[in-house]
Amino acid sequence: MKIGIMSFAHTHAASYARLLRGEPDIEVCGADPGPHQAGEVRGAELARQLGIGYADSHAELMAWGPDAVLVTSENANHRPLVELAAKHRAHILCEKPLATTWPDGLAMVQAAREAGVLLMMAFPVRFASDFARLRAQHAAGLLGQVVSIRGTNNGKLPAERAWFADPGLAGGGAFADHVVHIADLVETLTGAEPRAVTAVSNRKLYADRTEAETGGLVMISYADGAIAAIDCSWSRPASAPTWGGLTLSVAGTLGSVDLDFFGPRARGLDAATGRPIELPYGPHHDVPMLREFTSAVAAGRQPQPDADVGLRTLAVMLAAQESARTGTTIAVRPI
Amino acid sequence: MRVGLVGAGVISHNHLPHLLRLGAEVRVYSEAGAPELVAAHGGAVAVSLDELLDWAQVIDLASPTHTHYALARQALSAGRDVICEKPLARTDEQADELVELARQTGRHLYPSHVVRYFPAYARLRGAVRDGLLGDLAVLRFYRSGGFPVRSAWFADLDLSGGVVLDMMIHDLDIARWLAGEVTQVSATWTRAGDAGQPADTGQPADTGQPVDTGQPVDTGQAHDTGQPAEASHVLLTHESGAITQVSGVWGAAHLRFTTGYFVAGTGGTLQYDRAADRGFVPDLARGPARGEAVPETDPAEDPYYLVLADFLGAIRDGTPTRVTAADGAAAVRIANAALRSARTGQPVTLVAGAAS
Repeated sequence: MKIGIMSFAHTHAASYARLLRGEPDIEVCGADPGPHQAGEVRGAELARQLGIGYADSHAELMAWGPDAVLVTSENANHRPLVELAAKHRAHILCEKPLATTWPDGLAMVQAAREAGVLLMMAFPVRFASDFARLRAQHAAGLLGQVVSIRGTNNGKLPAERAWFADPGLAGGGAFADHVVHIADLVETLTGAEPRAVTAVSNRKLYADRTEAETGGLVMISYADGAIAAIDCSWSRPASAPTWGGLTLSVAGTLGSVDLDFFGPRARGLDAATGRPIELPYGPHHDVPMLREFTSAVAAGRQPQPDADVGLRTLAVMLAAQESARTGTTIAVRPI
Repeated sequence: MRVGLVGAGVISHNHLPHLLRLGAEVRVYSEAGAPELVAAHGGAVAVSLDELLDWAQVIDLASPTHTHYALARQALSAGRDVICEKPLARTDEQADELVELARQTGRHLYPSHVVRYFPAYARLRGAVRDGLLGDLAVLRFYRSGGFPVRSAWFADLDLSGGVVLDMMIHDLDIARWLAGEVTQVSATWTRAGDAGQPADTGQPADTGQPVDTGQPVDTGQAHDTGQPAEASHVLLTHESGAITQVSGVWGAAHLRFTTGYFVAGTGGTLQYDRAADRGFVPDLARGPARGEAVPETDPAEDPYYLVLADFLGAIRDGTPTRVTAADGAAAVRIANAALRSARTGQPVTLVAGAAS
């Protein structure tokens, strides 16, 4: 199977490449046309370091004839790349969020549908074993009726790539970066439709790095009566030992379950500086996510999470942005 | 000092022994349970409220929320100082009136926002005051426990204000204490199961109250076990620009009492979780039963003792207290704004301490 990586803008491009390049029967080739931000390892040089093939343009990558592509560009540039891949009949794994505007999201989903290519969203956290346990316990009725969910997805303002701090390319700030993962987890768990979103934000943290919001709190009301709250803030100091994490606390009528997806770690202290040492361990959720994508492409079946999940999580993200901007509660637009 | 304690429910067990330890003479008046409470801790039973008001210098209200206003008004009018369990009153107007009445009569009035005296929260406040966290940006608080099925009034929103006014008001108060006045409040609220028929007793609760359409709509679908649960999330915007999330759950009866916070500022972050940050972790075959109505505390630094010591000290010596009547009224205002937002589905703006 030939897999193309369209753009190395997102840091996940490199981790996907590392995981895929060793797989038997998979060839990987990337395209990352410039210009690039000074000081960032991109383009042919990054492809060389990753040990994957390289094409000078996306057109050249398409000419290589990939069976599937990973779209890992800046968020605002997902649409043209997805449309190009669809035109060349390549199946698509799209980095989150699906898009930065509703028209872009709709156009991408339509392009994939019309071309008859599979479109999957890159939501790796739902592939965590602990989440599978939670789903099984929920399905077995052990939680009773879910009434409340608390999610946190706090991290540093991503520093490896400058565009994360550019609201135009990123489609915003903390809301665009961190709302969709938990929106996906809640929907996957309960299957309930998000109805209304209220959000507040500020820009006190990392104020010198971005014009976008860095602090964000979001509430979501679901059709089944459940309510969720998400802290999506970039509230992890730049000097912290690890990037951040994602937690989910689910409360039902029969009890509650707390998950800390990136929590388990060996902890210690550095003798020279006194700074904490934190060494997270555990399986890489990207592995089962990529396996779902490649096996679905091989079998010609629709992988999950699909385009509808991409649209619904995008709708929640856009509603959060609009709510924070207007100071009102926003109804989530139906697909 | 002669203290008249009103109420003999669960929380009175966290008042009476501490009042006695502080050297107070205590009489207890309650519609039920006073003899048992006194037998457990000491003090004496008052046969009537009038007897208590005649005898006492200080009235300590540990009665249901909806009774606070009338009892506090009666006590203040009779020239008594008043300590009152949170919330100070059920409505904004009642709370404001009590603050004003205390001012007019020159009597002390203190709402027992005991979480300000819990060491993890006092430490946080100290750190914020000392500037350790810099300019506060994002604050998050959570609190959960079993649905209080021990007494029917908790389930009646008209009487108790539910999980928001009864439990989350602690964290709403802490958020304001740390990050300052609140300008906007929004909330979601839900209830599931049948709160009138708690699963563990099977006893129908007294629900003889009129239906008040001025409360959040019950959107939850009844679960077949009938286990009641109530939950809410509240978002606050502070005058400073800081934003706060407060989440609360009244859930299954076996739940441990869970509390925690995460606070991020320009200078750093602080977090606490009661389950994770424990100094004593038993795992015993014959340990105590699961589930707590109130969190266990360290007897050497018991916040329920500290809050009463603070109040009695202020009444005796005129020293300032960590929490004031105005703080109690402000917390009621924020909590009621949250209920209003949950009902209307839109954020509520608070201007200069008053709802608009």
